[in-house]
Amino acid sequence: MLPTRSRRVEVTTKNNRMVTNAAAIAVLWLAGMLVAFAQGAAIVNQDAVAASTAAGETAKAQADGQFRSLDEDVQSLKKEVLDLNRDLFLLEEELLFPANSQVAFFISMDVGEYFELDSVSLQIDGKEVANYLYTEREAGALLRGGVHRVHMGNLKVGDHELIAVFTGKGPHVRDYRRGATMTFNKGIGAKYVEMEISDRVAKQQPEFIIREWE
Amino acid sequence: MIPCRAICLVSWLVFAVTVATPEARAADDRKPPTVIKDPHYGEVLYYFYQDDYFPAIVRLMAAQKQTHLPNHGAEAELLLGGLYLSYGHHLRAAEIFERLLADNVDPQIRDRTWFFLAKIWLQRGYLAESEQALANIRDELPPELEPERRMLQAQILIDQGRHDQAIEVLNAWRGKNEWASYARYNLSVAMVRSGRINSAVGMLDELGQLDPYNEELSALRDKANLALGYAYLQDGQPLSAKPVLQRVRLSGPFSNKALLGVGWADAEIDNFQRALVPWMELRGRNLLDPAVQESMLAIPYAMAKLDSISQAADHYINAIEAFYEETSRIDNTIEKIESGELFDQFLSQDPTGTTGWYWKVEELPEGTESRYLYHLLATHKFQEGLKNYRDLAYLQRNLDGWQQSVEVYRSMLETREIAYYERLPRAEQSLANADLDRMVQQKLEFDARLDSIDKSGDSLALATAHEFSLWGEITAMERNPALQANIPEAQEVRHKIRLLKGVLQWELDREFKVRAALIRKNLRQTGEALVETQRSRRQVDESMRNEPLLFEEFNQRVAGLDPKINSLRDRVDVSMAVQRAFLQTIAVDELQAQKERLDTYTVQARFALAAIYDLSSTVSDASQ
Repeated sequence: MLPTRSRRVEVTTKNNRMVTNAAAIAVLWLAGMLVAFAQGAAIVNQDAVAASTAAGETAKAQADGQFRSLDEDVQSLKKEVLDLNRDLFLLEEELLFPANSQVAFFISMDVGEYFELDSVSLQIDGKEVANYLYTEREAGALLRGGVHRVHMGNLKVGDHELIAVFTGKGPHVRDYRRGATMTFNKGIGAKYVEMEISDRVAKQQPEFIIREWE
Repeated sequence: MIPCRAICLVSWLVFAVTVATPEARAADDRKPPTVIKDPHYGEVLYYFYQDDYFPAIVRLMAAQKQTHLPNHGAEAELLLGGLYLSYGHHLRAAEIFERLLADNVDPQIRDRTWFFLAKIWLQRGYLAESEQALANIRDELPPELEPERRMLQAQILIDQGRHDQAIEVLNAWRGKNEWASYARYNLSVAMVRSGRINSAVGMLDELGQLDPYNEELSALRDKANLALGYAYLQDGQPLSAKPVLQRVRLSGPFSNKALLGVGWADAEIDNFQRALVPWMELRGRNLLDPAVQESMLAIPYAMAKLDSISQAADHYINAIEAFYEETSRIDNTIEKIESGELFDQFLSQDPTGTTGWYWKVEELPEGTESRYLYHLLATHKFQEGLKNYRDLAYLQRNLDGWQQSVEVYRSMLETREIAYYERLPRAEQSLANADLDRMVQQKLEFDARLDSIDKSGDSLALATAHEFSLWGEITAMERNPALQANIPEAQEVRHKIRLLKGVLQWELDREFKVRAALIRKNLRQTGEALVETQRSRRQVDESMRNEPLLFEEFNQRVAGLDPKINSLRDRVDVSMAVQRAFLQTIAVDELQAQKERLDTYTVQARFALAAIYDLSSTVSDASQ
């Protein structure tokens, strides 16, 4: 007495990501994956194969249907949670940083050949408000054009002094620490200040520019 | 000022939908740079470039609602579509693309977007949607994507049972690259399914002899040889099967099945001695492989055929023991899967990972149970189910975080409200003391008085206190009766007083215009200060009117969000349980199938062993 066996042939794509069971190939070729070899004689139980394949197809269809139904459920939940997150995000911002006193500081990079950012420290009116250490992934996102909101706070109407200190690796991978300062006027309404790290090609040095968005 | 940043990124969407292909990125880099004109748009990109799609989507939606993206309106909407796609929220992505991709979009971007959407849908089993997305592609895709598009199309047709159409698509494939080889393999599958066996055999034979130049093609070649070899075997053509199966590499993923088949080809022609060679090779391999399991029965079977009954009996006993141990391990694994522990281990491998559709479990958690599930990782259903499970776990953590935050906000609002109503009476008292109307009235009176002084030229009205005192003394002296006497001394004093009065008058007249201008300036500044104070007062009044309304609004929003969070949290929990049960079913079904196979093999081994014992006992009886 020898074992029954099952074989599957699969549809294949180049990256092997799309694999689909194709039990039917076996059905058509030799009516089956169940072959019993006994004392040198092969016995093919074709009815059992057909029944087993039909049952397999039904089970697969059921599983597909169940997967789709679950997936649709997850899609719907994602939509609702995303919408809720948006509302909560707005509530948080309005509650903690009302538009009249809101001030946000952004860090950006242009090119970044001469400076590899490690951290940024911010002082407003002599008081440290942020000290942010960048991961490689975050610094990479800045290099690719992302803008990071490094600090958000509330300030009174009037003039304020901002000091930003950038730490990282400068030209020739040397430790580099530079400060930039500016005085800005906070009026009524939100204020956005951008600190941009760019390259001064002529001097082969990084340049740190602070400016206000309009 | 608008900062102008040259981002070699691309057009967001192209990037969003071509994450998987470096060639496409290189092509995108040649596109004109994008300029960020709104900081909030740059912030969305900051998260997007870190593959943190969920926070990127939330920020983008919030910025859209706050109208913070006046300069990126249209592209922001498309970026949102790209983010949804990257996040795996394909239905919402499709809604956006269907709305926006119809017109005014670079045809290349449009076609690529539909392509990736089709790919996601196929992986998730949305065949009709996937087919429709492919149909939306109007032009030929770039060379690195076009073959995959055609393969997807054929794949959908095969999955839908439309084999003739699949054959038509695959038959039209030209060229001799890797894709063409895969196309020929899939074509042979479609042909078999549609009954064109002979053509399929020829094609598999051709594929089985191709000259592979990389691992992928070697695997494809092995696969074709295996399929063809077993076809010959089961068709009773062992002599044709053997050379085909011998073309399979000895160390590849299909080698176990091929070795087993080669053994069967020899056994079919009663060459059991030869059959034992490949089967014995299988003995040292991984028992999880059904081919290895089967070889454990095939070996004693061949030995029995070679009259090595005693050895055959030993091998059957070993096989029964091995199958028993394996069955016990499978039972333990099933137990662990049913407890849900295993799937949490999957997620704990990447605890910080958020949400990308490109995420894929490559490694199983360490442990004996994992080895039974390796091939499950290759199936879309399991991978996509696991992604959904991971996404639900992320949503669960997200909602938990907000639940705590909302609690803090509620408490913060309460504190603020209490503080406000405590300070309110003092503020109202201070405001009541500051009679702005009276101040304004006074200022107006001052204006009128200055006008009158100016008009009349009353320089004495603008005299200093000292001058005014001097003027009083002089006029008092003038009125002194003693000085009215007609005597020389009195005349002299009167003359001096007139002189003094004249000097003082002259001084007052000389200073009059300067003083009037100065006072007018002061009055103007006072007026301006009063206007500013009135404005501030109006703001304070407005704040005092609005503050209670704001508190009420915030309280309502917080109160409204709380049940929403709770309800969603419950639904996520339920959905997670269902998703986990679904994954468990897939995994357990797989293990049950393995177990059933082992059970069958065990029964067969026991039966064969009993037959051997029976035979031995009969022979022994006969000899006695």
